[in-house]
Amino acid sequence: MKRRDFLTAAGGTALFGGATVVGVPMMVPYTGIELREVTDLTGRRMGMVIDLIRCKNECTACLDACRKENNVAYHGEKDWDLHLIRRVDVARKVSVEHEEERRRKVLLMCFHCENPPCAQVCPVQATYKREDGIVIVDAHRCIGCRYCMIACPYQSRFFNYKHNPKDWDELNKERPTRSHGVTESCTMCAHRIDIGKEPACVEACNKVGAHAMHCGDLNDADSEVSKLVAAGGAMRLREDLGTEPKVFYLGL
Amino acid sequence: MEHKFKAIQGTSRGYWTLVAVLALFTAAGFISTYLMFLHGVYLTGMTNRAAWGLQIILAIYYIGLSAGSLIVSGLYGVFGKLDYKPFARLAAFLAMLFLIAGLLSITTDQGRLERFFVEPFVHFNLWSMFSINPGLYGGHIFLCIIYLFALLREMPWLTKVSAYVVVGWAIVVHTGTGAIFGFTPRELYTSPLLPPSFVAAALASGAGFIICLLVGLFKLTKRHLDDQLVIWLGRLMAVFIIVVLYLILVENLHRYYMIGSREAALHYLFEGFHGLLFWAGMLLIGFIIPLIILFSPKGQTIKGVVVAGAMVVFGVLCERYVIVIPGLVHPADLFPGMEIVDTPAQFAAYTAVEGVATYTPTFLEILQAFGVFGVVGLMFTLGIKFMPILPTEARVPER
Repeated sequence: MKRRDFLTAAGGTALFGGATVVGVPMMVPYTGIELREVTDLTGRRMGMVIDLIRCKNECTACLDACRKENNVAYHGEKDWDLHLIRRVDVARKVSVEHEEERRRKVLLMCFHCENPPCAQVCPVQATYKREDGIVIVDAHRCIGCRYCMIACPYQSRFFNYKHNPKDWDELNKERPTRSHGVTESCTMCAHRIDIGKEPACVEACNKVGAHAMHCGDLNDADSEVSKLVAAGGAMRLREDLGTEPKVFYLGL
Repeated sequence: MEHKFKAIQGTSRGYWTLVAVLALFTAAGFISTYLMFLHGVYLTGMTNRAAWGLQIILAIYYIGLSAGSLIVSGLYGVFGKLDYKPFARLAAFLAMLFLIAGLLSITTDQGRLERFFVEPFVHFNLWSMFSINPGLYGGHIFLCIIYLFALLREMPWLTKVSAYVVVGWAIVVHTGTGAIFGFTPRELYTSPLLPPSFVAAALASGAGFIICLLVGLFKLTKRHLDDQLVIWLGRLMAVFIIVVLYLILVENLHRYYMIGSREAALHYLFEGFHGLLFWAGMLLIGFIIPLIILFSPKGQTIKGVVVAGAMVVFGVLCERYVIVIPGLVHPADLFPGMEIVDTPAQFAAYTAVEGVATYTPTFLEILQAFGVFGVVGLMFTLGIKFMPILPTEARVPER
């Protein structure tokens, strides 16, 4: 082989290989996520119970409270709006005297699965399950590949397609706004739970007197949620998938 | 028989026009990607429901084409078919370029481009197909380079070893790519048959592409190409098509037969634009007509094989579309046994799209796709000018 051929081959190899050497450092395994200690999370398993019979059809307290608490942008564009908690109306296939009797207003959110498919597929471990079972996204690590949105069987993940608006009417200064390009879902207001408060939606629900939403530790025998679930009739969505959601519905 | 390779001259007006056009594509792609980087991915046609779009379709398409090219190269490297030695370099080079195109497509699709070059390497997640695959792709490109190097330097031992490794690795890579979809809990994604059918379709499209490219390139550079070589490649492609057809048939029969997924199967097969692409684009144009051509007397002519090859290349693109999009626009069955009813209009601000969603690529998104094609096209046109990749002639030796 001639010197020139060799140089051409070597040059070509270097040219096309430069970008691909990255394959090797990728093999270094990641050791785990360090959590900043705020409260003792160990042993806790946070869950929610939503009583759809108590939930009032005309009420939007929890939906508004969530938006305000977490600075969730609302652009008014169906394709790109984010809903950390959203409303779906469903009906059983039965005949009843009054149409309202078979209809339910269901509040959908992230169900903080015990086996979250979103965290399983996240290529950068930006989505992870905290020790107390809450599934959250690290917005500073998310690369915006949207695989978690594909993997979530509940369509509970949303993507910040746009920047948050600059002119907020009511900006909650204690919570961040988001840049575009990261996914987002309900955090069960982990920032509030960590300081011993209830999630914003639960607080709002109690404020209007509906008391339809409950949040607490499913591992705690004295918690309201444990008792409500144990009393029977609590239902989770798509239990057949094995994701084991931690949000239960009563009266669905 | 001695095989000679020679770089093209690359001085004609046509050559430089091609380079200029590809550079223009590249620039357009850069601009549109930069705009999305600044303003957000809403500039594409993707939505909260159809969260993946054109770039992912093309990414898996390119990755598939790469496998097919590699198989053609492997005819010499692995199976020792000396007749195909002239194509080995070109096919290996193409395989590498297509993988780069696939990776570029995925890259341009990210919401936070700047983190894409850091976070996946720092926070590797062994459970994620999206984490495993780029590692496989990177390794694949690296192996392609070694293989190409061995071919260029005419090192028989290294050629043989690297050919075995790289062809085996290719099958793993494409199984992994199929698993991105097949191993995801979505009605129209979950399927153990998706990875194998992905591999088979990949091989078919790659063979089709290389048939068209070979005939075109040899004609343009006025080099001799024996018809018999191309016709035999057409036969190989026919086998791959039959395997894909079979796997797709079984997959959809299963989906339709099981009561739980019947509604989804009907949506997949008969609704919307993807229904049209499934029947007309993929089945008819992509698989059935090429098969008829290849098994008729026309399949013994170079013209017939090239036409069939081009149709398969198009058909597999449609196949990639019906892998990605229907599974996204079809709603997950959140409330089995219940029906979703209309929410009163005054609460519209609190509802997301729950029914069937839509996806239409935007102009900028298409420009982005052209950009990826431009980058890789430039690499190819410059590559065959500066490296001895094209054979001077390809003849079947007289025995």
